[in-house]
Amino acid sequence: MTNEPSKSQHIEAPADDNRVLSGLLEIGRGLKTVLSHVGREAVTLEYPEVLPDLSVRFHGRLCLLTKSDGTDLCIGCKACARVCPCDDLIQIEMHRDGDKKPVIDQFTIDMGRCIFCGNCTEVCPVDCIKMLPDFELADYSREALVLDKYDLTLKGEDADEWRRTHGLAPSVT
Amino acid sequence: MTTASPAPELSLRDKPGFSDLQGVTVEHGLNTQDMVVNIGPQHPSTHGVLRLVTTINGEIVKDMEPVIGYLHRSKEKMAEGRSYFQYQPTIDRVEYLSSFYDHYVYVTAIEALADLKVPKRVEYIRMICMELNRITSHLLWFGTFLLDLGATSPFFYAFREREAIFKLFEDITGARMMYNYFRFGGVNADAPPGWLDDVRKVINELPFRFDEYEAIANKNPIVMDRCIGVGVTSYQDLLDYGVTGPSMRACGVAQDMRKTNPYSCYNEVEFDVPTATEGDVYARYKVRMAEMRESIRIVHQLLDNMPGGDSAELRKLEKEHAKVAEEIAAAKKRVTVAKKNEEAPNAADVAKMAEKAPELPFDYRTTGQKVNLMVFKPPAGEAFSMVESPRGMLGCYLVSDGTPKAYRVKWRGASFSNLTILPSMMIGNLYPDLMAIFGSLDIILPEVDR
Ligand code: SF4
Ligand code: SF4
Repeated sequence: MTNEPSKSQHIEAPADDNRVLSGLLEIGRGLKTVLSHVGREAVTLEYPEVLPDLSVRFHGRLCLLTKSDGTDLCIGCKACARVCPCDDLIQIEMHRDGDKKPVIDQFTIDMGRCIFCGNCTEVCPVDCIKMLPDFELADYSREALVLDKYDLTLKGEDADEWRRTHGLAPSVT
Repeated sequence: MTTASPAPELSLRDKPGFSDLQGVTVEHGLNTQDMVVNIGPQHPSTHGVLRLVTTINGEIVKDMEPVIGYLHRSKEKMAEGRSYFQYQPTIDRVEYLSSFYDHYVYVTAIEALADLKVPKRVEYIRMICMELNRITSHLLWFGTFLLDLGATSPFFYAFREREAIFKLFEDITGARMMYNYFRFGGVNADAPPGWLDDVRKVINELPFRFDEYEAIANKNPIVMDRCIGVGVTSYQDLLDYGVTGPSMRACGVAQDMRKTNPYSCYNEVEFDVPTATEGDVYARYKVRMAEMRESIRIVHQLLDNMPGGDSAELRKLEKEHAKVAEEIAAAKKRVTVAKKNEEAPNAADVAKMAEKAPELPFDYRTTGQKVNLMVFKPPAGEAFSMVESPRGMLGCYLVSDGTPKAYRVKWRGASFSNLTILPSMMIGNLYPDLMAIFGSLDIILPEVDR
């Protein structure tokens, strides 16, 4: 290894007579490698029929987990909205009932503008907003991509299942 | 950075073949005129949206002007309106082929500012991610470069291997390309159990695949004819334009930040810096192929010496520690609220027990110090950090005024400087060589425009 720049060399082209021969040989070698792929197993998936095996940490569609009995887990702290890099992507409307318990009136996420960074999932204090291994989000209009609380919520048992597969305590009350 | 030493004399115009070609247009008096050809911004070979306004006369390039900015997304300005954590995911889009590097410079700049200590395990995981990222980036380059030269099959082979590595990234970060994984003083989550073995499996396979690539491309007469002796640069030119990375090393300069100023734990691993002396397209090809093998060597060493080993063992250890902690807590409780007909344990004994409670060594952790990401404010000051990205020197300059938002973030992308040398390499050269030369520089447009 040297820090000194060394003189550039002029690279001699091989003499003409064996160029043809060596060229043919090398092309033959390349083709042999290419042909050896014919018998190998295919690495591509026939997508709509075969779905890829996604990791549990996959950054896909967002969801709101609920408590085990199906009631809201979200406490309306708006931490997720604050760390989201896109302005006003997560919109939360909430009020407090007689016992000062939070009630979530509205929770909308515009999936069309979400960049699937996972920031929101990381700061949620109650592990409520999480991601699903679901990437099939295409739709016919932008409005259809704005998911409201009903679309986002993952009810009772599904939420427990999510927590189980992600190494969290499954039942939350 | 290495110090400048006297540059070797090598002018493009001294190259054999050049004067002959120019002679054709003059001697024979062909009535050729300068013609302006507009390449891009939607040209498949410009790998992004680059426009090259090229003046040619016959087949000879007389002038070339890169027009950039089509991908400008004001990444630097965005930092000023967002908190540090909020800004972080957008960094992935600065340089989407090797975004672990962008994250690394950003978090290390912040760590330097806020004086956060980083556990060794974190550094090792980061280094594995970065080296694998170098391989994916070079693989993409290999595929598209040969595609530009007209070879289609290697492109698919390179993407197949790249996909295998992306699967590893997906397992650890949750995303294939936009990782958002490094955190201030740590990483987002520990590697999943068994991940290290998966990595080992993939990288054990790779050298055989590289052999296959080289069997196809190395001595192929078309590749050789189009690459050897084409696009030769001089050392002085590279210095003048601030070119770094494999293009620099292909000119015989072993300038690699991993060796010259070792960051992270690069001083703990053994590796060589591949160089070539010819400074042509073929030399750049050789350097990149050799670099991928060096990266594999580095990853092997990191896997063997990973502090804490596989995360499954660590989790077990953590559980044991938690059990002890529980026992201590229970004992403490009994000291204060001793039940009737039960002897309260000696308070001093319990305190001693608590003192000896096992703890996970600092180097085994995945975050050095818990940082509240929402209200994180590094103290006022400035920091600059650099890494050797697959394309060259990548730097991030960060100024903080003590508020949750950065005062200024400046990116030093390697692609920008590497692109500026293109006109000087092209002027006087053959127009058909453009794609070979441009491809060999491995430029990524989002990093140029930011
Ligand atoms: S994943 Fe990122 S962009 Fe999407 S809602 Fe969460 S924080 Fe916002
Ligand atoms: S961070 Fe969690 S608890 Fe807070 S508003 Fe968002 S989803 Fe609800």
